[in-house]
Amino acid sequence: MTATVANIDNSQIVTLVLTAVTLPFVAFLINFLLLQKSKVSGWVSTAAILCSAILAVKILIALWNQKPITAQFAWFQIGITRYYAGIWLNNLSVLMLALVPLIALPVHIYSTAYMKHDSGYGRYFTYLSLFCFSMMALVVMRSMLLMYAFWELVGFSSYLLIGFWYTRESAAAANKKAFIMNRIGDIGLLVAIMIIYAMFHTFNMDRIFGEAGLIRKSSINGLVWTTLFEHMSAYWQYVAAAGLFLAVAAKSAQFPLHTWLPDAMEGPTSVSALIHAATMVAAGVFLLGRFLPFFNGTELHILAIVGCLTAFMAATIALTQNDLKRILAYSTISQLGYMVMGIGIEAYPSALMHLVTHAFFKCLLFLVAGIVIHEMKHIKEENNLDIDPQDIRHMGGLRKKLPLTFLVTIIGALALIGLPLTSGYLSKDGILIHSFEWSEDNVNRFAFVPVMAVITTWITAFYVTRMVVKVFFGELQLLKSNPALSLHLTDGGLLYKLPLIFLALCSLFPLFSFNPLSYEHSWLFNGLASNFLVQKNNYHLFVPIIVGLGSVTTMYMAYLSYGKHKWAFPQGGFFNRLSSNEWYIDAFYSRVVVKGVLAFSCALYWFDKNIVDGLVHLLERIGLFLSRVSAWFDKYIVDGLLHTVAAIVEAIGNFARRFQNGKVQYYLYSMLLAVVIVFVLKLLIWS
Amino acid sequence: MITLTDFMLVSAALFCLGLFVVVSKKNAIQVLIGIELMLNAAILNLVAFGKYDRVNNGGQMFALFAIILAAATTAVALAIILNVYRQYKTIDPDKINRLKD
Repeated sequence: MTATVANIDNSQIVTLVLTAVTLPFVAFLINFLLLQKSKVSGWVSTAAILCSAILAVKILIALWNQKPITAQFAWFQIGITRYYAGIWLNNLSVLMLALVPLIALPVHIYSTAYMKHDSGYGRYFTYLSLFCFSMMALVVMRSMLLMYAFWELVGFSSYLLIGFWYTRESAAAANKKAFIMNRIGDIGLLVAIMIIYAMFHTFNMDRIFGEAGLIRKSSINGLVWTTLFEHMSAYWQYVAAAGLFLAVAAKSAQFPLHTWLPDAMEGPTSVSALIHAATMVAAGVFLLGRFLPFFNGTELHILAIVGCLTAFMAATIALTQNDLKRILAYSTISQLGYMVMGIGIEAYPSALMHLVTHAFFKCLLFLVAGIVIHEMKHIKEENNLDIDPQDIRHMGGLRKKLPLTFLVTIIGALALIGLPLTSGYLSKDGILIHSFEWSEDNVNRFAFVPVMAVITTWITAFYVTRMVVKVFFGELQLLKSNPALSLHLTDGGLLYKLPLIFLALCSLFPLFSFNPLSYEHSWLFNGLASNFLVQKNNYHLFVPIIVGLGSVTTMYMAYLSYGKHKWAFPQGGFFNRLSSNEWYIDAFYSRVVVKGVLAFSCALYWFDKNIVDGLVHLLERIGLFLSRVSAWFDKYIVDGLLHTVAAIVEAIGNFARRFQNGKVQYYLYSMLLAVVIVFVLKLLIWS
Repeated sequence: MITLTDFMLVSAALFCLGLFVVVSKKNAIQVLIGIELMLNAAILNLVAFGKYDRVNNGGQMFALFAIILAAATTAVALAIILNVYRQYKTIDPDKINRLKD
């Protein structure tokens, strides 16, 4: 491997990375400007992502376990401060850079078949390419500023794709919900970035969080947070950590901001597979990976507890859901909870490994769900039934109709449950084992975390089995009510099969480790764990056995319950209602938060209308009154004065003009009179 | 003995009569006659004061001069009246009020 590296120098690598990142953007531009209505758009996007994937894998091979590479150029200057745009390639980013197109490629291929008859075909691939570009750019960015920009773009393209069928009211509502919830997280991230910039005077993440970065020279003593440049109250560090947590909770659907993800299933299933299962929702975990040195012990404990709680809660909700995609969505939330918990318990390599393995098998399961829903839709349309094609209560017995789909589902399900020989086993056990060690290090103060995590894996085994059994085993439930159903079900063409097979192979252990039972032997784990001590102890033996046995037991119970109908959960109990109503969190939000916001806006509206507008109206009335007074003054005083003057002048004029009557004798007479008067006056004065 | 005062009184009376005629008559010819009366009152005064200049007889000379001028002005005035009549078809000074405004 070193030989390969010697041949490729840094600038070539940077060019390769930039090419890989830009290709989907080029596809986006071509599709957006030229191919909106054309079926070629799908192949343009697919070709772009294929090239990206090849380049990214090449980069991954070249840079894995090498020294981090950074490159940048001056972007703009404000005052004397220069801002740089650049890329930071370490193990984490090249791994993510390869993962995104590797997941996106099968999804693209699948989509060309899946979306073939949709009128928005071109628009779909335009959005999809935009998403791939944003996601790949997000993972390599060096500047927090640019990372934030792509973080927003990722959220935006997700918004576009959730609302892809925008004429459906539920899709429009779901994308609004997703967008608003992501905004909450974005604000948190923005606040955190501003605080970090204020403290470290740079946006370059590798300078702050890299090896020997500035973060290691900062400390919190008492209530003062000191870095090389500044010191501030320690509360700002907590605020920044809380902002980062919000960002992670919103993007990676952690409690309490997880409720957008199940609703986001309104988008096309292939989109759910790529964005809302494999890549975008992992962005939060990726962010944690980048910002990991920023968190102190207590903050990590909170992360662990929240992740564990989310995992447990989502798993219990998934137990009773009947919508196929909703089950998968809740299982995604649950697995994301594991990853966040993994970061929280400082099992950084296991958490990221789980991110990677989860991306493959969850994408696989979603694509399977897409096929199943597709076929159910066919049945519905062929027979004019009024059913919800996503409801698993209508399904069953698809094992014989869709043999390949069934096979890959089993692989995906086993990986999700975390049984040996699958990739899920490797990563999940890493997290679980580490959680026990962590709990021991913390004097068992947080013993409930590993216990809950293990219980969650059992619950996971149960609901996954329930789903698989209900969909694939037994008899098609629709046949019971409509015996004369005509069925034409197939796995679909190669465009469906190839992605499934590819993802199924990636969900097995050989991709990650040649030893199917030990995650420490995985190249991925070793690459990420270079700085972490791995202890060998009893947990490495007991935990997998406990988890495995428990899982198999619950799987058998689920099979007995849903396959053989030997027993059933009591319906209508408290826990049943709690689970099927999704812990009443959505109801709580719509009752308290939404109502509260609405009431608040009503109050604001009232304030606006009566106080603000009232003030304006009052001013208006005062103005009107004043102008009336001044109009009166103008009319009667100013004009009156003028009119008086004019009238006087007129009167004088009228009086005077009577003398000017043009009669010569009259003039003479007047003259005479004047002379006589002067004469008389003179006489009077003299005498 | 006829004194200067008697002449002056006659002259004043004559002037007043002339003035009255000028102011009151409705015929331009009569007005002209009134003017002549006032002129003659003035000439009478000149002649009466002429007793103070026995050597050169200035008073009498001025009287003669004024009489000649009066004849000339009367001729011009009659011509004006004739033209006024042609213009207005009347010689009533009350009706001729073009001087107004």
